[in-house]
Amino acid sequence: MARIHAEGIHYAFGRQKVLRGVDLASADGECIALYGANGSGKSTLLTILATGYRPQRGSYRLDGLLASEEGSELRRRLVYVGHHTHLYGHLTPVENLRFFCDLRGLRPTTEALREAVAAVGLALHAERPVRGFSAGMRKRLALSRILPAKPALLLLDEPYSALDHAGVSWLNDLLGGYLRGGGTIILASHDPERVAPLSPQIRRLEEGRLIAEQTTAPRETP
Amino acid sequence: MMFIAAYRIAWKDMMGDFRRRATLSSMLFFAVAVLVIFQAAFDPDRAEARRLLPGLLWVTILFTSLVGLGRVFQAEEEDGAFEGLLLAPAPRGVIFLGKWLGNLVLTLIVEAGLLPLAFILFNVEAWDAFFPLLGILVLGTLGLTALGVLLAVMTQAARSRETLLALLLLPLVAPLLIAGVQAASALLQGGEIGDWLRLMVIFDIVYLALAPWAFGWLVEE
Repeated sequence: MARIHAEGIHYAFGRQKVLRGVDLASADGECIALYGANGSGKSTLLTILATGYRPQRGSYRLDGLLASEEGSELRRRLVYVGHHTHLYGHLTPVENLRFFCDLRGLRPTTEALREAVAAVGLALHAERPVRGFSAGMRKRLALSRILPAKPALLLLDEPYSALDHAGVSWLNDLLGGYLRGGGTIILASHDPERVAPLSPQIRRLEEGRLIAEQTTAPRETP
Repeated sequence: MMFIAAYRIAWKDMMGDFRRRATLSSMLFFAVAVLVIFQAAFDPDRAEARRLLPGLLWVTILFTSLVGLGRVFQAEEEDGAFEGLLLAPAPRGVIFLGKWLGNLVLTLIVEAGLLPLAFILFNVEAWDAFFPLLGILVLGTLGLTALGVLLAVMTQAARSRETLLALLLLPLVAPLLIAGVQAASALLQGGEIGDWLRLMVIFDIVYLALAPWAFGWLVEE
């Protein structure tokens, strides 16, 4: 269950104003796709929603938790996968997942972590250090955090990058299942075709503001 | 939960070091090299050795710890890992605690090897003072590494961070090290040790109380 309420978000890097009063709200089980040109502020907005940046003006709440005051509790409810995967090369996939879970106060069994690694197609690499992994494998492993964490909100920045055709299809299956379970996704992408199977609400960032566009066809329910 | 998060961060750092054999081996090599050079340069007799050893030990520990501190955030530079740490729900103070514990353990391992080597090299026949002296080193290392890890995060983004780290650490940690040298001297040569130990404890408390708070303040955007 993730209810986002962001209001009047402003953010600037020095004199360069990136966000100029962004309002965003979402309901449970909703997917919102952010589009926009390079430098339009998609990644900045996602980082603010992940509490990585503090907005210079405006407020952001997730499930009633105010980011500026309850950031730690708010972060517990979300998983953010950005351009960086936040993986440690000297650790194996299972060790990376264990590290991620321990920092969130989660205590999954090693078997559960192995299953999460297997679920993203990396079972054969579970005991190898991540250092030798390709970009696609690292992306899959970063996304596997969804499984033990079961976050209410998933923030994804260019989630399809580095994935091959099969990987895109696999990711949409994973995200589709997550949405059907009531989770909320906000993602930034340059590729509407790849996002289309998730039937997202579309928002376009232009000149620092979010503009709503048409909604694609509703998702098929099982 | 908080202790587990701190432990896991420290574990991750130590695993990285043991698997890459990077920081610990550099620190050990550096410490041994410094001691051997000092011994060759001074070649003290037994009485002189008792007088010189406290200062030589702390100088060696200080410079050796700079080797470790210069790399304490190295693993976090990989693939945005530091951003990942800060986006975790763990409080900032717990993240600091984990980074500090990892560095502390590495430094203590070096000291545990350094002290007997120093006794042998300098022919100090005061083995009954070995464990009390080790205790003084541990007491000083608590504050030294706490301040060092804090300054390491401050200088992380600087181009010449090792130099900057040394420039900032040396004057700030000097009172603790002076107390450490005096305590060790009092132990080896006979003298009042209590006041110096109390001073070291006070500095440790101040550094350990302020550093997590300052770390949280620093890493907030």
